[in-house]
Amino acid sequence: MDLTWDIDREGDASLVRCRVRNDDAVPRRVRIESRLGAPVLPPRRGGLPESGWDEAGVTLRLDPGERRALGFAARAPPTDPPVEIADVEAVDTAAESVSEEPIAGVERSGSATAAALRRLGDHRPPRAATAGGAGELKDASPAERERSSSPTGDASPGESAASDVDDGDTFDDDDTFDGSDTFGGGERDADPDDSPSASRGPTEWFDAVGTRLDAVEARIDRAERLTDADLAAATEAVAEADGVEELSGLDQRVAADATRLRELSERASALAARAAETEAPVEALEQLA
Amino acid sequence: MILAVAGGKGGVGKTTLAYNVAAALDAVVVDADLGMADLPGGRGPDLHDVLAGEADPIETLRAGPVDVVPCGRTLAGARAADLRRLEAAVAAIERERGTVVLDCPAGRRADAGVPLAVADACLLVVSPRAFALADAIRTRALARELDAGLVGCAVNRVTEEPPTDAIADALGAPAAVVPADPRVGRSVAEERPVVDAAPDSAAAEAVRELARRVPR
Repeated sequence: MDLTWDIDREGDASLVRCRVRNDDAVPRRVRIESRLGAPVLPPRRGGLPESGWDEAGVTLRLDPGERRALGFAARAPPTDPPVEIADVEAVDTAAESVSEEPIAGVERSGSATAAALRRLGDHRPPRAATAGGAGELKDASPAERERSSSPTGDASPGESAASDVDDGDTFDDDDTFDGSDTFGGGERDADPDDSPSASRGPTEWFDAVGTRLDAVEARIDRAERLTDADLAAATEAVAEADGVEELSGLDQRVAADATRLRELSERASALAARAAETEAPVEALEQLA
Repeated sequence: MILAVAGGKGGVGKTTLAYNVAAALDAVVVDADLGMADLPGGRGPDLHDVLAGEADPIETLRAGPVDVVPCGRTLAGARAADLRRLEAAVAAIERERGTVVLDCPAGRRADAGVPLAVADACLLVVSPRAFALADAIRTRALARELDAGLVGCAVNRVTEEPPTDAIADALGAPAAVVPADPRVGRSVAEERPVVDAAPDSAAAEAVRELARRVPR
C-alpha cells in the first residue's frame, strides 16, 4: 500500500490531500486515519458525507493496482504526517456483496435518496446568488418606510434621486424584482400592508426596473462629473447635491452599483439569449383551439 | 403511490402534465421544483419550509380543484432546502392522501434525482423534438438507476404526427400523445384541469390514458 500526502494551511484549518495506491495483486480494504488534532471534515455532497468517511478517517476498497485520490479538512494545525494507514486487510470477495449493503443505508429507499445525493451534482443555488437577499429584504423595509415618511421625503424628481443616493441599496431593498412573483415569495407575503404589485403587468415591471436604473444612472452621472473634476465643476456638483455630506460614500455605492449592474447584465443577457431560443407555437395552438 | 413526473429538459410541460395527471388520479401534486416553482403558490408554508425543517408537510396542503403542495419562489429557500427531508415529507402526504404526484425539476442534479429516488414510479414528458428526447433518455437512465419504474411517457404538445413508436422504443415505455391544446396550457394558471374543463377533448383522453397506466 503506497500513500503520499500534501497539506495546506487555510486560516485555522488544515487541508489534506492524499493519494493511495494498492500495489498488491489482490483487492485490499484500507483504513486511512487522520493524525490531526480535530475531527475530520469529510467531502460532502448535499450535506451527506461521501461513503466510507467518518470523523477519524476513511475506509476504502482498492482493486489491485487501483489508485485513489482523497482529501479532507480539519480545524487543527498541520502535523507531519497528517495521515496514516491504520489497517490493511484482505477483501473477502464472497462476503463483499453481503457486507456492503447494510453500510450503504438503512433501508432501500433511504439509501436511494442518499445515493442520489452522493452521486448527483448539488442543486443549491450558489451562496453568492442569495447573499443580501431575503434576510435584508425584511430589514430594509422599515428603514425605507421611515425615510419616506420623514419630512425630507416630499420628493421632487431631483430630490428623489438624491434620497436614492442615500439608501445605497438600490437592488436589494424593495420590490424591483417581485412584480413577476419570481423572487418575492414568502417574504413579501408576510408583510400585507406593504402589498407588492401582484397585478402589475409586464410592462410596468420593466418600467420599475427602468426607474431603478435611472436612479443608478443619476448616481453614476454625479460620480462621473466628480471624476477628475476641476474645482468649479466639483463645487457645482456638491452644490447640486445639497452639500458634501450628501456625497459621502458615493464612491463605494457606485462601486457596488458596478458589481450589481455587471451581475444583472450577465443574467439579463443570459435570459435574453434563452428567450430568443424559444419558439412557442402559439399560432398553431390558437388555430387548433 | 408516489409518481414522479420528470423529463430532463425544461419547458416540455412537466408541470402542466403533473397537474393534469394528478387531477385524473385525484391525487395531490407536489411542486418539487425547488429552484423554479411553477404550480400555484400560496400564502402559507410551502415545500421550502418543509425541507428546511420549519413546517409540517400536511400543513402545506393547499386545497383547490387539484390539491397542491406549493414550493417557495426564493433562491434563499432553495438553498436552505435539505433534500434528505423530502422522502419523509412525501411519505407523510401519501399516508394522508393516498396518491402523490411529484413535479420534478429539469436537469440531472440532486433536486431532479431525489424525487425519482423517492418515487415508486415515474412518467417521462418529452416534447416531440429530437433534442428533448435526448434529455428524456438521460433522465430515463437516471430513473432506472434510482429504481423508479417507468410507467409511460407523454409526448406533449403535439401539433404534427410525432414518431411515437420511435420515442416509445427509445424510452422503453408506451408513449401517449398529448395534443397541443391551449386549454391544457392554461390549466395550471387557471386551476382548471383539462379533464374537468374539457372532458371530451383528445388532450383529456390522453391524460386519462396516462393516469390509467399508473398502478394504484
